[in-house]
Amino acid sequence: MKEGGGVMTQQTPVRPLGGADGGALIDEDWEAMRFRVHRSAYRDPGVFRDEIAKIWGHTWLYLGHETEIPNAGDFKTRTLGGRPLIFCRDSAGEVKVFLNACTHRGTILCRHNEGNTKFFQCFYHAWAFSNSGDLAALPGDESYPDDPGFRESMRLRQVPRLQIHEGFVFVAFDPDVPDLLTHLGPAAHYMSLTAKIGAHGMQTLPGVQLYSVKGNWKLAVENAMDGYHFAPTHNTFVGYLRETGFAVTDDDQYAYDLGGGHGLLVLTGHNGRIGMVWEPRFGDEEKARTVAKRNEMIARLGPELAAEIADASRILFVFPNLLLFDLEALTIRQLEPVAADRTDVRAWQFVETGEPESVRALRIKTMVSFVGPGGLATPDDIEAYEAVQRGIVATADSADPAHDWSDMSRGMANEKQGNQGRSIDEGAMRSFWRHWADRVGAATAVAGDPPADPGAPGPSAVLAAGSAATSDAAAPTSGKE
Amino acid sequence: MSATTSGAVLNVGAREVTRADVEDFLYREAQLLDEWRLDEWFTMFEPDGRMEVPTTDWAGWDATTAGFFVCDDYDLIRARVKRLKSRKAHAENPHSRTHRMVSNVILLEAGAETVWISANFLIHRYRDGGAYPYVGRYEHVLKVDDDGLRFRVRRSIPVMESMDPGARLSFIL
Repeated sequence: MKEGGGVMTQQTPVRPLGGADGGALIDEDWEAMRFRVHRSAYRDPGVFRDEIAKIWGHTWLYLGHETEIPNAGDFKTRTLGGRPLIFCRDSAGEVKVFLNACTHRGTILCRHNEGNTKFFQCFYHAWAFSNSGDLAALPGDESYPDDPGFRESMRLRQVPRLQIHEGFVFVAFDPDVPDLLTHLGPAAHYMSLTAKIGAHGMQTLPGVQLYSVKGNWKLAVENAMDGYHFAPTHNTFVGYLRETGFAVTDDDQYAYDLGGGHGLLVLTGHNGRIGMVWEPRFGDEEKARTVAKRNEMIARLGPELAAEIADASRILFVFPNLLLFDLEALTIRQLEPVAADRTDVRAWQFVETGEPESVRALRIKTMVSFVGPGGLATPDDIEAYEAVQRGIVATADSADPAHDWSDMSRGMANEKQGNQGRSIDEGAMRSFWRHWADRVGAATAVAGDPPADPGAPGPSAVLAAGSAATSDAAAPTSGKE
Repeated sequence: MSATTSGAVLNVGAREVTRADVEDFLYREAQLLDEWRLDEWFTMFEPDGRMEVPTTDWAGWDATTAGFFVCDDYDLIRARVKRLKSRKAHAENPHSRTHRMVSNVILLEAGAETVWISANFLIHRYRDGGAYPYVGRYEHVLKVDDDGLRFRVRRSIPVMESMDPGARLSFIL
């Protein structure tokens, strides 16, 4: 793929299509009602390098949640876009994110996954840094310049940008990215909805699911924004729910393009919601608590906001690496691309602070019975990513160039008419791919006239409710740059 | 806790449990799972038995305080068996080939009607041209009665740092 192919909004077809020769990777045709993605987008190491450089290098990335490091001195280490980072709370209580490399020779400074410390000491030459990044110990410093500027130049390197929305910590490696709330757009509101579930706040739990899939990261995004796969792929899970007394339906459920590559599915027929929408497998004790919990939410938030938070499940994708599953219970999932055909996945249970132990146990049991590599559903999604990654080799290179495309046309006629896309259509995937192409500079061929109205940036009820979205989005973000 | 005559025998109430009893139980389980005889495997649980697979960062948390890979009550174990027998359990259709080695069996402690044991496992899983080793240890609470041993709590603790690419837990670990 060529650099800087800024032609994605062009209205006339770009030829040649596909391949590594600079052809379009997205082929959108509003006469034939066809949208397809060239399969090299999942396969090509060159495309992958472009993604890391142009997306991961220049976009806000979800790093972690503040509650992972509740106390001064707490730290976690993890990579983002392959860069090793230290995510910590310094002795003054401030969230800090450092490149996890000694400023001396580049050694991995902290080799632990997590812990609590005032100082990070490099084992190699024993340089030590405070948890706010100061160079605190420089062994044999008489042989270095007698100049405070030298020590200052050897401070730990902080990520250029760090901002927090509702406890969700984002970083950017590009100092010139726009403000986090600008990046999040309407997605900020949906994060706020989830953050308001608990009367005493929300928190992550230890017990992080770390696993890796043999598939491109975008397959995991597509899968989360794809209600079409639910019934066939999760046939056995749907059957299990039916036996517990819950009938899954895909009726009257919609997908939303939130702009900026972000997407949202709003689901009312896939599952109950612990504390909010009861279903039989949650048990009788939870049935009574659900009534009390709704009353608590109405008293605290008002009936409209309580209903918006509680009545529907939501799957929120925040471009490029955060999936927030607000379903039976809550899971934060982070995608870390490792190679074109490999993605590391990290998943945290996200729970109400201070809830009773019995509710917590129900929440964990219920959520991990569905999501995660040991659940009754996610393994079939993983099978799908991996089977796609294996299958798209079939048409690669010169074998069958005319068919080296994946189709995402479902629901285009509906979209053209200006109707809200259903969760079982593929509109949320299309909006993701359009933004992706824009970010990586992949050419897009567009034929015919796209719909004039891009659709509502969220359920119409939200917009009708007035200012909820904007006021939520503006208030709770603490800018920590 | 009852008196212990040696590391190889524990007294549970009036009954004696030997390491060989536990080894036989674990070997039989390994065979049933490798042969996908899941209905028979399910009978190795007592009613209300549980099955857990903690995450790789596990530090002794119970299932009220942390996320897990698997946290099944008896009903969910039954649902898991039913699912895995279905052709629609896509992640296991076709089935993975698995090969289990169980060793280092230790009788840790006896309760009034249970014995707490640990063992090491090495499970090789093969599918779609990939080979996946799963390394860990079992820490089980086994109910002891006249019929022999049954799972009260079956816990498989991975020692890997994470699940490697392709190494999902779509089978019984």
